[in-house]
Amino acid sequence: MARIEFRNIVKRFGDVEVIPGLNLEIADGEFVALLGPSGCGKSTSLLILAGIYLPSGGDLLFDDQVVNDVEAKDRNVGIVFQSYALYPHMTARDNIMFPLRFKKTPRAEALRRVKEAADLVQVGELLDRRPSQLSGGQQQRIALARALVKEPQLLLLDEPLSNLDATLRLSMRSEIKSLQEKLGVTTILVTHDQIEATTMADRIICMRAGRIEQVGTPDDLYLRPSSLFVAGFIGSPPINLIEGEAANGAIKAGDTAFPATGSAAGPVTIGLRPEHLHVSETGLPGRIAQLEPMGREILYVVKTDIGYIRLLEQGSSARHGIGTAVRVGFSPSDSLVFDSRTGRLVAGAQAQPTA
Amino acid sequence: MSRAAVTAPGATGKPAIDWTGIATRGRAARRTRAVGVYAFLIAVSVPIILPYFWLVTVAFSSRGGVAETDVLWRSVFILVPAVIAFWLVAMLARSRRQMWTLVALIAVVATAVFVALVGPALHLNNFIFLVEPDFASVIRSKVGKVSGAVQFPNVWHAFGNSILLAGSQTAIVVTVASLAAYYLSRFQFPGRAAMLRSLLVLHAFPVLTLIVPLFLMLYYIGLLDSLFGVILVLVAFELPFAIFIMKGFFDAVPWDIEMSALTDGASRRQAFLRVILPQVTNGILAISVFTFIRGWEEYIFVFTFLVHNTNWTMSLYMFYVRDDVMGVDYGVVSAVGVFYLVPSLLLYLAAQRYLLQMSISGVKG
Amino acid sequence: MTTLAEQLIIERRGFSRTAMRRRVNLLIFLGPAVALTLLFFIVPVLIDIAVSFTDLGRSLRITGFTTEQYQRVFGGDSRIAPAIGLTFIYVFGTLGIFNVTFALILALVTTSLNKVSGGFFRGVWLLPRMSPSVLYILLWLWVVDPSSVGLLNQILMTVFGLETPLDLKTQAPVLLIIVANGFIGASLGMIIFTSAIRGIPDHLFHAARVDGAGTLAVVRHITLPALRWPISFVTIYQTLSLLVSFEYILLLTKGGPFYDTTVYALYVYRRAFESGQYAYGAALALFLIVIGVIFALLGWRFFDMKRLLQQPRIEVQ
Repeated sequence: MARIEFRNIVKRFGDVEVIPGLNLEIADGEFVALLGPSGCGKSTSLLILAGIYLPSGGDLLFDDQVVNDVEAKDRNVGIVFQSYALYPHMTARDNIMFPLRFKKTPRAEALRRVKEAADLVQVGELLDRRPSQLSGGQQQRIALARALVKEPQLLLLDEPLSNLDATLRLSMRSEIKSLQEKLGVTTILVTHDQIEATTMADRIICMRAGRIEQVGTPDDLYLRPSSLFVAGFIGSPPINLIEGEAANGAIKAGDTAFPATGSAAGPVTIGLRPEHLHVSETGLPGRIAQLEPMGREILYVVKTDIGYIRLLEQGSSARHGIGTAVRVGFSPSDSLVFDSRTGRLVAGAQAQPTA
Repeated sequence: MSRAAVTAPGATGKPAIDWTGIATRGRAARRTRAVGVYAFLIAVSVPIILPYFWLVTVAFSSRGGVAETDVLWRSVFILVPAVIAFWLVAMLARSRRQMWTLVALIAVVATAVFVALVGPALHLNNFIFLVEPDFASVIRSKVGKVSGAVQFPNVWHAFGNSILLAGSQTAIVVTVASLAAYYLSRFQFPGRAAMLRSLLVLHAFPVLTLIVPLFLMLYYIGLLDSLFGVILVLVAFELPFAIFIMKGFFDAVPWDIEMSALTDGASRRQAFLRVILPQVTNGILAISVFTFIRGWEEYIFVFTFLVHNTNWTMSLYMFYVRDDVMGVDYGVVSAVGVFYLVPSLLLYLAAQRYLLQMSISGVKG
Repeated sequence: MTTLAEQLIIERRGFSRTAMRRRVNLLIFLGPAVALTLLFFIVPVLIDIAVSFTDLGRSLRITGFTTEQYQRVFGGDSRIAPAIGLTFIYVFGTLGIFNVTFALILALVTTSLNKVSGGFFRGVWLLPRMSPSVLYILLWLWVVDPSSVGLLNQILMTVFGLETPLDLKTQAPVLLIIVANGFIGASLGMIIFTSAIRGIPDHLFHAARVDGAGTLAVVRHITLPALRWPISFVTIYQTLSLLVSFEYILLLTKGGPFYDTTVYALYVYRRAFESGQYAYGAALALFLIVIGVIFALLGWRFFDMKRLLQQPRIEVQ
C-alpha cells in the first residue's frame, strides 16, 4: 500500500480513553518507530492497524481508502508480538505455514516458502521442533518468519526484542534492520527503548498518553526535541535538566546565573546532554562525586550548587579523580531551553556557561 | 523471498487493492455474525425463560386455578420490546449519561404500559397458603372429591422441615468436615496419603447407586422413615467434597500463625479453635452454602426413605401438590413453586461468589 | 527432665502424654468423618453384596441364601435387555446432543459476546440446574401438558397451526427425557468450557486473526485444541452421571409409559421399591456399583496428587 493514515483515531476501552485523537501518516517502505513509555497507546495503535481493535472514532486509511471495517484477515499484515504468540500445539514449520493455509497455497509451494522464510531468519534446522523446545530468540525468529512468509504489505513489531538478552537484542536489531532494507516492506516498530528506535527507524513517533509528542528523524528528536518529555526520553545517559527563572538575559538557577539569549522568560528548564558537557577552565564549578567507566567513555557525576550534573568524557581512562574540583563547560548551541510550564522548547533560546 | 518492485514512488502497473470493497464486505460479515449469534442465543434461551416466567405470572394472576397464558403473553409483548429497546440503546448510545437517561425513559414507559395492561390482573390470592394453615381443605372444598387420601400438612410445616433438614445437615457437615480437614492438613499420621486419595475416590463415586442397600440399612438400624436418617445419609455424602474444600482453605493458612500460637502456650486443639478456625470462615461459609442448597433441593432420598411419615420437606410437598392438586389449582401450585424456587436461586447467587474464588484445585490441565 | 532411656521406655509403652494426646486428637478430629463415611459408603456396598445373595422381599425377612437373583439377572428377566438398550440410547443421546455438543456451542457462542451479555445467556442456561428438581420437572409437565393448556401445544396450535394437541409423554417419551435432562446437563459443560476458553491467552487469537483465520478457523485451530482435556473430562464425568441418575426421569414419566423410559438405574429402583423385590434390586444394583467404583478409581488417577499431599510442618501433637 502506498500510504497509511491515521485520521483523528480515537480508542476507548469502556470509560478509559486510551487514544484521544491520533493523526499520523506513514509512507510506503518506511521503517517507523512508535516510541513511548508503557500505557502510552503505542501497542493499541498497532493493533488498530492490524485490525484487532476497532477504532472508537476517526478513520484508518490505506491508500486513501477507509479500512476501519476491513477484517484483520483481509489486511495482509504480518505481526510479531512481544510474547511471540506461537501456536503451542504446532511445530515451528506448521506455525510458519499457518498464514499460507488461508491463501490456499498448494502444499509444495507452501513448504518452499516456509523454507525460504525460515532461512531468511536462520531457523532452517529448527522447523520440526515445538515452541516449548525453542529458546526465546529462536521463537522470536519463528514468529518473524511467520509474519514474513505471506509477503505482507505491512510488518508490525510489538516490542519484539524486550524479552531477549542484551547480546541477542543487539544482533537481532541489525538483522531486522537489514531484513527490512532488503525486503522494502513498510515496518512499524513499537518500543519503549529509545536506543532501539534511534538505531533502527527512519522516523520516530514519540508518544505519551495517547498523543504524539514529536515526529521526526532520530537526529531531529535528539538535536531539536520539541518538549521536555522528548528530551528526557531520548539520549543515554539521560539529559541533565536544570530548573531556573529567565529574566533580563540571564537564567537564574539557585545562586547560579547562566547568561542567556533568546526569547525565554519566566520559569524555564535548561537541558544539557552529558555528552555535550566537558571539563574546562571556565564554567559551572563543582566537585566530582562519582565516576563510572563505560568502555570508551567515562561518566562523571559532578556535585554542583544546583544539583548533580552528569558529564560524559571521551577516553577509556579517567583524567579526574573523585573529589577533584572542576568546572563544567558547554557550547551554547548545544543547550536547550524549555518553558517549564508548557514543557515546550523555546526556539532560539540558548544558555551560556557561567563565567 | 524477493519482492516485486512496488516501492518506487509513482510506479505504474502496481495492482491497486480495493480496500473499500473489502471494508464493505467486512462490515456486512460482522453484522451478519452479530445478528446470527444473538438470534441463536435468543432462540435457545426462550424455551427456558418462558416456562419460568409463566410460573411467576400464573402465581400472581391465576383465578379459578387455571393456568392461564393471557397474562403471560401480554407481559411478554410488553417486555420483549422493552428489552430490545434497552439493547439498542446500549449499542448506539454515544455517552454513558445518554445511555442511562434513555434506559430510564424506556423503563418508565414500559412500567406504565405494564401497570395499565397487566396490573389489574395481578393479585396475591394464590399465596393463600402462606397465611391459611389449613390450606389443603381450602383446595378440597373447591374441587369436591379428590382421589388419594393423602393428608396435606401445612406448607409452613414443610418449609420448616426443609430448613431443619438443610440446616442440620449443614451444621453437622461443617463441624465434621472442619475437624477432619484440619487434621488432614496439619498432622502427620500413617495412612494420611491413603486417606486423601480415598477422599477423591469417594467424591467421584455415584452415591445414587447405593439407594437400595441404604434403605435396608436404615430399616435395620431403625432410622428409616425419619428425617434424622435422611440427614445422616446426606451428611455422609456431602463430606468428601466438604473436607476437600476445607482442606484447601486450611492449607492456605500460613504455618507461622499456628506456630506462634503454640509457642504462646496453646495446645493444638486450642490453636485450632481460637486461631485457625477464624482464618477459614470463608471456607466454612462456602461449604455451608453448598450443603444447604443440597439439602433444600433434596428429593430422591427424602422420597424413598420417608414411607409413612408426613414430615414432608418442601420438595415432597411440591411433589404431592403436583400429583394431587394437579389440574385443579394451578395458581396455588405455582405460588408454592415460586416460594420454593426463590431461596434456591438466592443461595446459588451466594454460592457463585465462592465458586469464583475457589479454583477447581487438583484437576490437571 | 527424664533421661533418654526413660523417655524411650515411656514412648514404647504408649502411655506418654504425647501418645495419649495423639490418639485423642485422632479420635476427635477424624473420628466422626471416618465413621460416617465408613457407615454410609462402605457398609452399604457390603450389604448390597450380601443381600443380593438372599431372597429378601417385601416381607423384609431373609429366609435363605440363594443365587436365584443372579440367575434371574442373567437369564430370566426379559426387561433387562431393553432397559440396557434404552440406557445406551439415553446416555449417548443426551451426552452427544446436549452435555457435550450443545455445551460446547453455548460456551463458544457466549464467549464471543461481551462479558455482560455472555454472562446473561449463560445464567439463563444455568437456571434449570439451579432449580430444585421437583420444580423443574413440574414446569416441564406443564409445558408438555397434552391439552391445549400446555405451553408447547399452545404455541404449536396458535402459531404453527397444529390441529390436535401433542402428548409427548406418550408419543415421544424418550425424546422428552433426553431433552429434559439435556437442558440440565448442558450447563455444567458450558461452565467448564467457558472457563477453559477464557484461559486461552488473547495474543493467540490476535495472531491467528492477523494470519488470516476467520471465526471458524480460529475455533478449529486455537480454541478446540485447548479444549481437548476439558472435553474428555466432561464426557467421562457426564457419562457416569447419566448412567446412574434417574431422578428426573422418575419425576417426569415415572419410567413409563409402562417401561418405555425405564433406564437401567430406574429399573433397579422400580424393582426394589415398586415391586418390593429388594434382593433382586440389590443384585441389579451391584453392576452399577461396580461401574461406579471403576470410574471413581479411574478418576483419581487424573488428579494432581502433589498439591494435595502438602506435607505438614508441625510435629507436635
